[in-house]
Amino acid sequence: MKVLVANIEDVMREAAARWTLIAYFFLSTIFIIIFASAINLDIVDGALAGAKLFGKEVDMRDSISIEKLVLGFETGFSVFLYFLCTFLAIFATAHLVPRMQEKGTIDLYLSRPVSRVKLLLSRYIAGLILAGSNVLYLMGSIWLIVIWKTQVVNPRFLLGGTIIFLVIAVLLAFAFLVGVVTSSTAVSIMTTYGLFFFGLMLAAHDKIAAAVSEEWQAWTIETLYWVFPKTAELGQAVVAFVGGEVMPDRVLQVLTPAPFLTTAAFGVGCLILASWLFTRKEF
Amino acid sequence: MTTLIEVSGLRKQYRSAFRKPKITALDGIDFQVQEGELFGLLGPNGAGKTTTVKILLGLTHPTEGTASVCGLPVRNPESRRRVGYLPEGHKIPNYLTARQALSIFGRMSGMSSADIRQRIPGLLDQVRMGQWADVRIKKYSKGMTQRLGLACAMVHSPQVLLLDEPTDGVDPVGRREIRDILRAEADRGTAVLLNSHLLSEIERTCDRVAVLRNGKVAAFGRVEDLTRQSATYKMVATPIDDSLLAAFRETGAGVERVNGHMVLSVTDLTHLNVLVDRLRAGGGELAELTPVRSTLEDVFVDLVRADERSSVGAHE
Repeated sequence: MKVLVANIEDVMREAAARWTLIAYFFLSTIFIIIFASAINLDIVDGALAGAKLFGKEVDMRDSISIEKLVLGFETGFSVFLYFLCTFLAIFATAHLVPRMQEKGTIDLYLSRPVSRVKLLLSRYIAGLILAGSNVLYLMGSIWLIVIWKTQVVNPRFLLGGTIIFLVIAVLLAFAFLVGVVTSSTAVSIMTTYGLFFFGLMLAAHDKIAAAVSEEWQAWTIETLYWVFPKTAELGQAVVAFVGGEVMPDRVLQVLTPAPFLTTAAFGVGCLILASWLFTRKEF
Repeated sequence: MTTLIEVSGLRKQYRSAFRKPKITALDGIDFQVQEGELFGLLGPNGAGKTTTVKILLGLTHPTEGTASVCGLPVRNPESRRRVGYLPEGHKIPNYLTARQALSIFGRMSGMSSADIRQRIPGLLDQVRMGQWADVRIKKYSKGMTQRLGLACAMVHSPQVLLLDEPTDGVDPVGRREIRDILRAEADRGTAVLLNSHLLSEIERTCDRVAVLRNGKVAAFGRVEDLTRQSATYKMVATPIDDSLLAAFRETGAGVERVNGHMVLSVTDLTHLNVLVDRLRAGGGELAELTPVRSTLEDVFVDLVRADERSSVGAHE
């Protein structure tokens, strides 16, 4: 526990001293302010009389209920937040392993009576706390702004943050693996973003597999799809979860255990491999 | 005396790329360091000093042989609970203050927050950093960073200190203070292993040394034993001419003329007296006769040169 607390303190102090923490939360705050000022709702006697989004009137001819409008906002923003939170989190935490592995620094950590696995996992948890606090800050602030402006409470929006957090945890595990192998922050960030986009592309795995000429190519694509994190499906899952029953069936059908379990398994696999390599690595 | 560091038959080979032959960094070295002892590890670049220290810390793994610290094999992380380490060119995160760095590394060594709070002021005063406790490390000079590194190594009151170039960048006064600190640590029972290129520092500080060369222990023992050159004397006399040198050489003595005096290598005291008699018999006058004591640097350079000569011979 002392090691974990020491690592969390170290990571937070580093993030604060290197402006990462400030930039991380500053960008999030800017987004929150834009969001708060972009939505203007005109509510008369509890009913929605008019709405403006970024200063533009929303067409109210179809007499939308305020609950439906809020749900529409929240599902739309949840997609945006999925990308924003994930990208900011990787950018703010991918350096944790490469910087620790620098010559002159790693000796200071490894000369302590701490197993290497414990050291790596402590740093991973510290990174997750940093990223998780930002997800909570962003999602929580927007959730509260929506409640303040509309008095509509949709706890599913806040809970949708857990899916985003899962994706961040998996991508951070991959960034740690790359960090252990390459000791490069730039490579960790690039490959992790690459993995994120590759996961999005693999959502069309059945179409790609059908388009290729050789059977082994189709098999490879299907295998990659099942091995790699399902970033597209989990993004869809955030929308489906936030929207709930009002969402169409084709969106809701993504809320099955398979994409969650396989993505989590990829993250666990990355962490195990990173720990194993870190244990064997010579400095 | 308890043995706190024990190295036996230690071998380390590094793999090289593209199937080239393996590089042997350590080729079966043995040594022990006792409690309360200041032990120096010397050697030219690439001799295996840093590899030895890294193995003792579990940073790298031996190919063969065993190493233990405080009776525990170095693979066991618990062995490091009693070890303090100051790496060469260390990078203590410069966004921390001295107090924060000591707190983080103290907790990583298993200390409680209360113990750390109690320990920090005295420790910082000991390394003359008390006034800088709450200033960020990026404001420190190299010598101050080095003194803080020493404090980080000592924060958990270890039984073994492994120090890589501890006086690097430290001014002469600071060096003396560090020597005093290390002596005090040794006096309270800590085994101190010093790895340094500053041979004069090692000579002043250490009780025993091991000189590594090509991954092997080339010389080992107490500093005064290694630096004692039996039967070598400096003679200042008049006149020193070729006939005197020839007369001395006739007796089988080694004679070298250096800046107006002679350096004589004799077999024993009787032999030395024969040379004095010859000087007087030839009408010469003895002005000074002193035994020559070599420095650790002389011993070190001789060992390295002997190695260069043997490798040239092997190639020929």
